[in-house]
Amino acid sequence: MATELNSDRPQRQRSEQQGGEPVRTTIRNLELARHVARDAQRVVAGDLSEQEFYERYHEAYLHEFGVDSRAISRQEVPNVASGQGAAKGAMAERPKPMINGPLSRRAFLMLAGGGAAAVALAATLGRLVPQVAYARTEGSSESPRAQGAVEGSQAVKRIQMGMVIDLERCTGCLVCVDACHRENNTEEGVHWMYVLAYKDENKEGVNFLVRPCNHCTNPPCVKVCPVMARHKREKDGLVLTDQDICIGTRYCEVACPYGVNYFQWGEPNPDTEMIRQHGRKDYRGRTVEFNPPRGVMGKCTFCPQRQDSEGKRGTTSCQQACPHDAIHFGDMNDPNSAPRQYLERRRQEKGGYLSTFRLLDDLGTEPNILYIGHQPSRSAKQVDGPITYEDWGWVDRRGDVLEGPRPWFMRVFGG
Amino acid sequence: MAEQSREALILKTLGRPSPKFFLLLAVAGGAVAWFAYAWSFMLRYGMITTGLADWGSAGGVTWGMFIGGYIWWIGIAHGGIIISAAVRLFNLRTFMPVARLAELLTLCALSMAALFIVLHLGRPDRMVVSIVRAFPRAIFSSPLAWDVLVITLYFTLTATYIALTVRQDLQAIRGGMGNEAAVGGGRARGGYFSRSRLGSSTVRGYTGGQYAGRGQLPALPALVHRVLLTGYKPEESKKVERMVWWLALAVIILAPLFLHGGVIPWLFAILPSMPGWYGGLQGPTFLSIALTSALSGVIIIAYIFRRVYGWEDIIPDSVFKGLTFFLIIFAMLFLWLQIQGLVTGLYAAPVGVEAVTRAKVHSFSYWLAIGLVAVAVAYLGAQRLRPSLFSPHRTFVVAFLPLVATLLEKSLFVVEGIMEPRFSLYRAVPGAYKPSWIEVSAIVGTIGLVVMFFALVPKVIPVVEVTTDEDRREHNA
Ligand code: SF4
Ligand code: SF4
Repeated sequence: MATELNSDRPQRQRSEQQGGEPVRTTIRNLELARHVARDAQRVVAGDLSEQEFYERYHEAYLHEFGVDSRAISRQEVPNVASGQGAAKGAMAERPKPMINGPLSRRAFLMLAGGGAAAVALAATLGRLVPQVAYARTEGSSESPRAQGAVEGSQAVKRIQMGMVIDLERCTGCLVCVDACHRENNTEEGVHWMYVLAYKDENKEGVNFLVRPCNHCTNPPCVKVCPVMARHKREKDGLVLTDQDICIGTRYCEVACPYGVNYFQWGEPNPDTEMIRQHGRKDYRGRTVEFNPPRGVMGKCTFCPQRQDSEGKRGTTSCQQACPHDAIHFGDMNDPNSAPRQYLERRRQEKGGYLSTFRLLDDLGTEPNILYIGHQPSRSAKQVDGPITYEDWGWVDRRGDVLEGPRPWFMRVFGG
Repeated sequence: MAEQSREALILKTLGRPSPKFFLLLAVAGGAVAWFAYAWSFMLRYGMITTGLADWGSAGGVTWGMFIGGYIWWIGIAHGGIIISAAVRLFNLRTFMPVARLAELLTLCALSMAALFIVLHLGRPDRMVVSIVRAFPRAIFSSPLAWDVLVITLYFTLTATYIALTVRQDLQAIRGGMGNEAAVGGGRARGGYFSRSRLGSSTVRGYTGGQYAGRGQLPALPALVHRVLLTGYKPEESKKVERMVWWLALAVIILAPLFLHGGVIPWLFAILPSMPGWYGGLQGPTFLSIALTSALSGVIIIAYIFRRVYGWEDIIPDSVFKGLTFFLIIFAMLFLWLQIQGLVTGLYAAPVGVEAVTRAKVHSFSYWLAIGLVAVAVAYLGAQRLRPSLFSPHRTFVVAFLPLVATLLEKSLFVVEGIMEPRFSLYRAVPGAYKPSWIEVSAIVGTIGLVVMFFALVPKVIPVVEVTTDEDRREHNA
């Protein structure tokens, strides 16, 4: 189970640190992207079967990316079951829906491990609820590691959006925080983007830590979600919450080591004009964008509304707003992406010695925010920055303002 | 004591209720009604009314008493297993008289735990659909999905178990069990695990009893009996007996290993984000305090029934002595595990672990909880060493201490865990929390529900098994 959603970490580091082969990872064919997006919505709406959907785009995917992980997962079924090598053509003969692909592979692994009964149960249940099909293919285990287990070492290079944040350039102006508020219409005191000003031993003055969600490659928040509302989007590795599925256990919030989640405890803000027009659905038709409804979890989304659009793809609101060019957003697996290029430039500037870190990297979350600067020590203490949240007219500590209506007896007794 | 009067005593619970009974129902019902009001208030205005908030920059605590109450009720639900294990696996017949009470406690405590999960959710409205849809995949990763699975299994097994054994008993008291079949079944299998096969000897001499005939029972219990006895055939007793044994075995393996020794602590123990939760010590710690509270629960309920119905002979002192013996063992285990946690958490612990252990040591509630358990251990231990100190009444009073302690300790565990996260750079860490009126109402309301359950169920089914050991021996001879 731990292998789920992992991308190949050593590989990522290799390509990043030693400048491995550039891999082509962006969809250049926008026309194709538009068609895929449209049809994906039709799948969700039930107008198009998954089988048709995947077959329709298989060639195009292969052409575009050189590999179609979806088709591969279908082939594994005969592979495993019969022990024969799978010919590419075998795929078309299999009427089996995609949904059983990952399950069956896992079924095989589990059987090997002696989990036969559990798998049988899960598989039966899986057949009872075909509606989940699409939801379940998302964030499914098409990870290179899992595939390697079945198919040898044919690893897939995936897109993983992330940020390089240059803390040496950050001045703590909080403009990015403001930009995020505006873009996503978050509640008072909810800071999907949060900048911590802190004092630390052996460091002069005030330092900053810019903290969006890390969109981890191995996100504990995704693992713990009992309804799989929190998921990792396959296209670009965004970690998102399906606002239509989330039941508000808040397990993701306690599992995330970074404290980036903000629950919708009460009634949300009325939608802005932009949200009303745009809606909350991403290109797959899943409700994942902007300030969530009551009882549902919210956090930094890496602005999928932008990633799915043509004009603003590859940008986020906070990144664009930063007046000091401290935030660099893009595919962390692509050495030609903006953040990786920036990193390289800075490294060269510094004569090859650049201090970088990822937050709480030892917890194995494989965070995708790479910071340039020095990691806060354990004795670091958050302080007021040069510009405070109050200066901007915001609430810093949301807990202080989270107060619902009081019942009659409290009003009577003034409690 | 004569057979007949023993059964008459047991069946007293089915009799006409006294005014006090209605008073009890009214009080418990009041608590439940208050809880319903609190819940509806929360549903109307959202969880913002609970005083919970996000950890991190917001300075709150994300999980509170709802999760504390959940752990508490699940712990109490273990009473049924311990008793079943004692009776069926370890042949401790002493506990036979409280076996069904304990099983019933398991059933309603589990329901209360499930209720707390529903209470805890931000969107209970979509709970069923979302869980069912995601389950086949979520079960491979989410500890909460494991919880749902294990609790459902445990509930189903226990409910089936009770239904099967009650069915046999009901048939016995109605005097309808076929002699030949029962005798045949009993003879064929021998051994101890056969509470159900003794119909014939039980029935002997009882058919004239007060509630033996359907006609003498009030309408509702009579209806329930009829439903429970649907399709009853005398030949089934042999099969049922075997099923019951396997069920008991399954439950006994499942619950300690996978419930409080498994999925419940794993909810927390797998998360390095909260150092106060992380680590393998949680399994044994959870299990020990769960068993302690479960035994306390059984002692309290058994004593109340003994008092109310004059069951001094049916639930003799030896039952309480035996229960306290196990209670002492589990409570001492719990205290010992606390020492392990404190020493390793303070001596040279990693920063996060040390912070949360320090917070614990400086918390009054923690020492209150530990103190309550320690006092219970000390007193009950003294009782064992000096039998003159023993009285069921005192045991009953002392049994409340571990129950309170568990609720305190486990709620504190949840809250303090979140207050001291690994990433503590936020100024708003540790966050603030105090239980809101809604959360407290939920605890009170669920206690009210359990009281109502134990007031009403005995009006419908016998809560002590009608057959006795003498029956068995006589029958087997
Ligand atoms: S930072 Fe937290 S919320 Fe974001 S992906 Fe990682 S674990 Fe999930
Ligand atoms: S990426 Fe988007 S959602 Fe995340 S902090 Fe920046 S503006 Fe906010």
